[in-house]
Amino acid sequence: MFRRRRSAEDFAEEIRSHLELEADELKREGLGENEAQRKARLEFGSVRAAQERFYLRDRWVWLDKLLRDLRFGLRSMRQSPVFALTAIGMLALGVGANTAVFSVMNAVLLRSLPVADPQRVVNLRTSRAPDRVDRINDGDMFSYPVYEALREQKDALSEVIAVGMLSADKVNVRVGGEPEEAEADMVSGNFFSGLGVKLARGRGFTAKDESDHAQVMVISYKYWTRRFMRDPGVVGKTIYVKGVPFAVIGVAAEGFEGTDPGQSLDFWIPLQGRGEFNVLGRPAKDGSAMYLADSKWWCLRLMGRLAPGVSREQAIARLQKVFQTAAYVGLGGPMKGERLPVLSFVDAKNFPGYEEQAGSPLQVLMVMVSLVLLIAVTNVVMLLMARNATRQREFSLRLALGARRGELLRQLLVESALLVTAGGLLAWGFAEVATRVLGRWAQIESSLAPDGVVLGVTLGVLALVAVLFGVLPFRVAIAGGAEMALKTQSSTSNAHAGRTRFGRIAVALQMALCVVLLVSGGLLARTLWNLEKIPLGMQTDGLVVFGLNPQKVHTEAELVQFYQELQRRLRVLPGVESVTVMQNRVGSLWSNNSNVMVDGKNPDLGKRQPTIVRNNDVGPDFFHTLGVPVLLGREFIDADTATSPKVAVVNELFVQTFLQKQDPLGHRMNDMVIVGVVKNHKYANVNEDPMPMAWEDYAQMKAEGAMNVEMRVRGDALAMLPMVQKIVAQIDPDLPLIKPMLQRAQFEETISQQILFARLGEFFGLLAVALVATGLYGTLAYRVNMRTAEIGLRMAVGAKREQVVWMILKDSLLLTAVGIAVGIPLAMLAGRSLASVLYGVKPLDWVSYALAVAGMVVVALAASAIPARRAASVNPLVALHTD
Amino acid sequence: MATQEDNRIALLQGTLDLLILKTLALGPCHGQGVARLIQRQSEEVFFVDHGSLYVALQRLEDKRWIRAEWGVSENNRKARFYTLTAKGREQLIEKTSEWRRLSRAMGLVLDGNKGPQETEA
Repeated sequence: MFRRRRSAEDFAEEIRSHLELEADELKREGLGENEAQRKARLEFGSVRAAQERFYLRDRWVWLDKLLRDLRFGLRSMRQSPVFALTAIGMLALGVGANTAVFSVMNAVLLRSLPVADPQRVVNLRTSRAPDRVDRINDGDMFSYPVYEALREQKDALSEVIAVGMLSADKVNVRVGGEPEEAEADMVSGNFFSGLGVKLARGRGFTAKDESDHAQVMVISYKYWTRRFMRDPGVVGKTIYVKGVPFAVIGVAAEGFEGTDPGQSLDFWIPLQGRGEFNVLGRPAKDGSAMYLADSKWWCLRLMGRLAPGVSREQAIARLQKVFQTAAYVGLGGPMKGERLPVLSFVDAKNFPGYEEQAGSPLQVLMVMVSLVLLIAVTNVVMLLMARNATRQREFSLRLALGARRGELLRQLLVESALLVTAGGLLAWGFAEVATRVLGRWAQIESSLAPDGVVLGVTLGVLALVAVLFGVLPFRVAIAGGAEMALKTQSSTSNAHAGRTRFGRIAVALQMALCVVLLVSGGLLARTLWNLEKIPLGMQTDGLVVFGLNPQKVHTEAELVQFYQELQRRLRVLPGVESVTVMQNRVGSLWSNNSNVMVDGKNPDLGKRQPTIVRNNDVGPDFFHTLGVPVLLGREFIDADTATSPKVAVVNELFVQTFLQKQDPLGHRMNDMVIVGVVKNHKYANVNEDPMPMAWEDYAQMKAEGAMNVEMRVRGDALAMLPMVQKIVAQIDPDLPLIKPMLQRAQFEETISQQILFARLGEFFGLLAVALVATGLYGTLAYRVNMRTAEIGLRMAVGAKREQVVWMILKDSLLLTAVGIAVGIPLAMLAGRSLASVLYGVKPLDWVSYALAVAGMVVVALAASAIPARRAASVNPLVALHTD
Repeated sequence: MATQEDNRIALLQGTLDLLILKTLALGPCHGQGVARLIQRQSEEVFFVDHGSLYVALQRLEDKRWIRAEWGVSENNRKARFYTLTAKGREQLIEKTSEWRRLSRAMGLVLDGNKGPQETEA
């Protein structure tokens, strides 16, 4: 195999020698010189053929042919650049959109956490938290005593990993001199070892780090890259977190950015015991970290690794009792009639929780882009078929000249591969950009970069498309057969009725899919419209909000003083109408939820209604600043202080739920007197249902370190921020404004996912319309072209122009009717699966359907206008003379 | 391309290959000599298509059943001489018994049909 190849010349030489030898022999047998040579050559047969066969024996011939086909394909693409560009463009759009959406879906729904043996890692969930406890979220938060109890059960979960958020969004850190913000979690000592996350540098945490509350930190690869330019000397550096020094001991492996949904963390520290490191930055009352000591504060997220050989069901069975006991540590057992919380596991995906939240919309989106791809691919196939139909003579001639069908097919496949490769490359670039945009819209910070799976699926789709593009037009191309080369009339050679049947079916199918996309797009657009119209119950115009996390204040009194001083200074700024503070920023998805006592009793609402009340700690002037009407009594004032009687404000629903028809003022909620009732309004997000709510005065509560400041200003609200920063710097020069933004934008963030889906839905709908219009136009134009002679004849025998135009329009309207008839039931199916993301609009919204149908008809008429005009302007004499 | 066609070619190739091997078993020879010998041995019943012969020779050389080198013929012509290799001899023995039965059967049939005009299409 590796021998030097024998040259063609050497072979030719051998044949020459054969002819000489043969001639010699024939001469010996008595023939004349010339006669002998002639006969030798005659007997040998075709020398050229033998040489060719020698050459063909060469195993590189296929490459040779491939190159020839490639050259030919490129040449023919150059000859019809419009066709090539249209096909490549459509393909790139279709495949690119698919790759982008699939990338996101892959990252959100399919990809596991980048940990060792991810199938054995689970997120712990509980059906509910016990009554009487505070929790960040219901369902995925646990108390420290639960963590302690579960990790003892090594026969169920070999590792139980605890994760506590240091802050609702970012914490203050200092690397050099300047204050910065970073995102971080506080984790158990087995975080890296238990999850099986490797360290790119240094070491991870140990159990001792956790029990000592060691001041060490592991930074993420991304943070290492972004902040330290991958400086290998980072290990050993000191980073101040909330003013406390931490030594960097390691860098986590690339790609691991935390266990929270869509988050990208900068660093991790072991569970801390100091007051300022309480979960979510909640200050502790008396020095000890509340989350460690307080069994009524469900604030830790728990993950586990199943013990070897133990199934999920077995592990749950072994843990359930332990969990239910631990859940009531410090509560003195469950209340009478209280349903016990039930422990369960869910897969530890990259995006825990996103599955429920974004799963079905993403799947719908995936279906939508697939439909777009299908339309795009059909378009290209139709284009190819139309083009190859005009190339029929070329193919017939080649068949007539002895080309084999296989060779023609190979050439078509090569041409298709060229198109698909160009389209695929373009699509990949398009997908990269689109993925980034999608990620930003969906507020997913962690990497969505297409991985091997995405690449594989994309290549698979492209390969399938390439074969399709080669094989389908092949039938058309060779339909003429070799004998067609002999025919000369273009009209006769093209009047092949069956050929256009495929085109018609394809166009009708496209229209059906387009109806589905238009209806879905319409439903989503109306959802967006509805969401944007939802009354928030407050005046967001002119409201600007920012967060602060003061580090230099240590007691509650100092904190209150800090915020009072700040408010005092901000209120006097020109253009500022009012200023207030709040613990949870409204519209940020965060809320406090707790059970309350009304008039000293646990309210009895019957079993079906939970007695949970949403609450927030706010400052004076809160409702006035937000523009929420106070219906009864008063709101918080500066005179409400730590020493004055504790007061609360509640909303209408609170009154309806707990006090029914009584006069709410003067009743007690926990240890507070209700002094005011306000109108229901939105708290955590735009589309929440109203909930009973209560507000406490922050000065009378365990004051929080981090607070948000809300200002109502005249004119450009954001323009006020530099001035605000200056005022803040006067009080504390090291204090950054956290996420300063318009209150309206903050609320919009909570519906960003719906906005994203709606925009994408509209985009895909429009894309589909554009593609379908192109396809329909192409098909009709092609058919009119083919029928020029027929139309000429019709007109020659007396058909009027209107009749000709109607003939063409009738054709496309018929296709539209079929498309709509098939599309509507499909759209109804699609609408049903969209139901979960729709807001204020039913899946069977007649407006969306009517608009889609009207849109289809308009598109059909627009696409047929030019071909119809061309048909009408056919000059019968010219048409009949063409052939 | 029909597979039937492939089979037929393979069969005929085999026939020609075996004839070449058998001829070369008598001693080194050049292509023209092989063609002549086959024709003579088969009592002129076989007509060897020379193009096919040289392609077959090349194929056998590629398989290393035969070896080739340029030399000078008895009448002082430059010629490429083929020699059977050890591997080729093994193949010859192996294939001969296998083919003997078949060629006998073929012979019976072909005898009844005046014999083939060509060994290969």
